Amino acid sequence: MYNEEQKISFRFSPELDVDFLQELYGDDFQQAEMIFESSAQQLRTELSLAEARFHDGDIPGLKKAVHKIKPLFGYIGLNKIMSEFAAFEQECAQANEPASVETGFQHMRMIAAEALQKVDNEIKRLKQHNTQYL
Amino acid sequence: MKIQSIIVEDLQVAADFLKRFCEKCGVVEVIHHFLNAEDALHYLKDNVVDLIFLDVEMPGVSGFELLDQLVYTPQVILTTSKTEYAYNAFQYNVTDYLKKPFTYQRFLEAIQKVSKKSEQENGNAEQDHLFIKSDGKLIRLHNDDILFIESMGDYVKFITPSKKYITHNTIKNLETKVNPQVFMKVHRSYIVNFTKINDIQENVLFINGNMIPISKTHKSGVMQKINII
Repeated sequence: MYNEEQKISFRFSPELDVDFLQELYGDDFQQAEMIFESSAQQLRTELSLAEARFHDGDIPGLKKAVHKIKPLFGYIGLNKIMSEFAAFEQECAQANEPASVETGFQHMRMIAAEALQKVDNEIKRLKQHNTQYL
Repeated sequence: MKIQSIIVEDLQVAADFLKRFCEKCGVVEVIHHFLNAEDALHYLKDNVVDLIFLDVEMPGVSGFELLDQLVYTPQVILTTSKTEYAYNAFQYNVTDYLKKPFTYQRFLEAIQKVSKKSEQENGNAEQDHLFIKSDGKLIRLHNDDILFIESMGDYVKFITPSKKYITHNTIKNLETKVNPQVFMKVHRSYIVNFTKINDIQENVLFINGNMIPISKTHKSGVMQKINII
């Protein structure tokens, strides 16, 4: 049976920005699940695109991809990574040659992969929580 | 009546997030979501909305370029992940500026600003624009866009430089509803925007190449209104 007290029992994982996520979604965990899922999906698409732009040496294209990736981390409570991507976007804007963004890109690739793992775990938790009330 | 809005946003997640807030608040209806400014511009050529949630950086035409090309001015809430655009936002007189991702509370504050601005505008409606019902929708026409209004029996035709709008109404009824500081009746079949008059010859005036008769009863009123040096 539906229980109002249980409804707010979900807590976001401490590895995410819990306070911010709480502020963002309130107790609307259905929305959180939907946004987490679509963010993860879009992150994968945009990261592949960024990878392709990087390999083509297309820095303006890479910058655009990074610009699109950046806010996605915000929706999943990874604000620190969002800031790192913002800094990398700036780096791309100032770069003259692909070699100058290589180190930065490798780092972005690594933290994005870690982030995706965290998001996937959180999606599982959210699904588990939300299905209790179906 | 709900605030009729569109979302112009290339990030699907951001648009979904915003749609959910719009549904939740119950006062904003999202009519369309466009993934780029070009499609939105195309839509806005034929449709009037109260509010645009507008992303700034999009592939192709940017949010600010879209605002440059708009022929009328709905309210705008900029949604962007950068704070650098705040100055431009101020220049474009947008209603609010939301940095993505934003909270529901912050969204509600923005919507309150929209409602407040809308109330103020409606209070001044007589001064700068009017709404007409044409082709099954309400269209906002700024006084400055209207050249003249012509009677067609039970209908009237609003003539603007780019388009003609036909609506069910009469000159007699409109005479009391248009802003008298801008419009005047010059003939039983014509109300003109006297700021648009190019020249007057005897009992005829010209606006953008259109010849409009001035009736004997209205001639003195016209002559009093125009600024003869």
